[in-house]
Amino acid sequence: MTTEGAGTAEGAPAAAGLDEICVVALAEAFRGDGEILGHPMGPVPVIAGRLARASFEPDLMLTDTIAYAVTGTLPWGAAPDPAAVECYMPFRTVFDQVWSGRRHVVMGASQIDRHGNQNIAAIGDYRAPKAQLLGMRGAPGNVINHTTSYWVPNQARSFAVSVDVVSGPGYDRVAALPEPSRRFHEVRRVVTELGVYDFETPERVMRLRSVHPGVTVDQAAAAAPFELAMPDEVPVSRVPTEAELHLLRSVIDPGGARKADFRTRL
Amino acid sequence: MSRFAGLAEAVAAHVGDGDTVAVEGFTHLISFAAGHEIIRQGRRDLTLVRMTPDVVYDQMIGAGCARKLVFSWGGNPGVGSLHRFRDAVENGWPRPLEIDEHSHAGLAERWRAGAAGLPFGVLRGYSGTSLADHTLTIAPIACPFTGEELAAVPALNPDVGIIHAQQADRAGNVMLWGISGVQKECVLSSRRSIVTVEEVVDSFEPRVNGVVLPSWTIDAVCVVPGGAHPSYAHDFSERDNDYYAAWDPISRDRRAFEAWLGGMRDGVAA
Repeated sequence: MTTEGAGTAEGAPAAAGLDEICVVALAEAFRGDGEILGHPMGPVPVIAGRLARASFEPDLMLTDTIAYAVTGTLPWGAAPDPAAVECYMPFRTVFDQVWSGRRHVVMGASQIDRHGNQNIAAIGDYRAPKAQLLGMRGAPGNVINHTTSYWVPNQARSFAVSVDVVSGPGYDRVAALPEPSRRFHEVRRVVTELGVYDFETPERVMRLRSVHPGVTVDQAAAAAPFELAMPDEVPVSRVPTEAELHLLRSVIDPGGARKADFRTRL
Repeated sequence: MSRFAGLAEAVAAHVGDGDTVAVEGFTHLISFAAGHEIIRQGRRDLTLVRMTPDVVYDQMIGAGCARKLVFSWGGNPGVGSLHRFRDAVENGWPRPLEIDEHSHAGLAERWRAGAAGLPFGVLRGYSGTSLADHTLTIAPIACPFTGEELAAVPALNPDVGIIHAQQADRAGNVMLWGISGVQKECVLSSRRSIVTVEEVVDSFEPRVNGVVLPSWTIDAVCVVPGGAHPSYAHDFSERDNDYYAAWDPISRDRRAFEAWLGGMRDGVAA
């Protein structure tokens, strides 16, 4: 899929692919974060974080995806130049530094419901799962201690009426917690291959924020098994600028790692 | 006090059937050599503990060493799932595997409490999740000062803690550096401990982020250069990325795994 016919942003190259539109949508999730640790996980989110910092969010702190905080614009898969290493942040110390709200994680969701409850641990009955996934990982802890966004490349498969186990809590569960426990909780965005979602409604339920070029509102709604909140008019997701396309294609991801999540669609 | 020993001798002396065993390490310094020796010696009914179990735990689970896994992430880093682990949980092959699942922070807290000799650790991070519905080692606790409800998690005190480090000195003290995980807490909280090292030196150089474990916290030091392979030892070896990629098709197929296992036991390949 391309943005042909969308034509919503001036000067946008017609050749921007769905992968690049999703990367920009995820980069937009970091807008306004300032000097915190941006912690995207996986190729598309990492490339998005690097794009955000290389363009409109220059104070964002990013890592080499292992243990170094690095300056400059690191290409996907490259090791940082020693001169670009700002500090060393091993696994054993990271929570001390970022669990004061000063972090924004972008991770995946095997299931996510309309309140933003996320499951990455197991599908089916927890004691006899149909699929034992990689485990809870950092979700219990991260999600209430700083901002979180989700990258969900297969919306119809992952959006769920209810999740089988709650790894990252959503707004309904967090609402019941005392203030110190929920002060940093924010599920900012969910980006899928169809559109962008947020929780900016009075009830804090999932709202269709924009549809990607070429996707209809009905298509986005049909790939959700629950009712989506809708603005009166659903905007079209922003397409990359020429400068962003240059950064993506020539600097950050010349090898096209961002396309891996779209194998069946591009 | 630690004493120098061969790895086979140390495993035979310190790792018994039914023990709770942690082979810790994060990204690098993962003692594959010790895991393989435990498989070769045919240990059974182990409770395996690790924050981030990877390929070596997949191998131990597939070999039937474990009855339970305490973990927060289980995967083949950069590749995908651990299929022997999944087969054990989903299908009970080669035997059922019970899981005691936590988040990274929850397990780190359990390690910290164990190392400090405290009965439990406490954290806010489980609030709002459904983890406590599934994991028995989580209990609510009210803060005695503010009344806030938090989660208590019991200390980890394994029978045996095993880590890999870069150096030991001649007195049996150990030093590791690079990306550090919970190796220090693992050794301090375990009843017995084994450290495999790259080399023995006369004295340690001070290093940024270095972790030194005194000899009185360690039972056996085994000189096993390359013992972290296919993971790496910072300043000594590179990560063997091909090994992790090659593990995927072996792990996916019971017969391919059994062929690998036979070869490993015979010392043909590891």
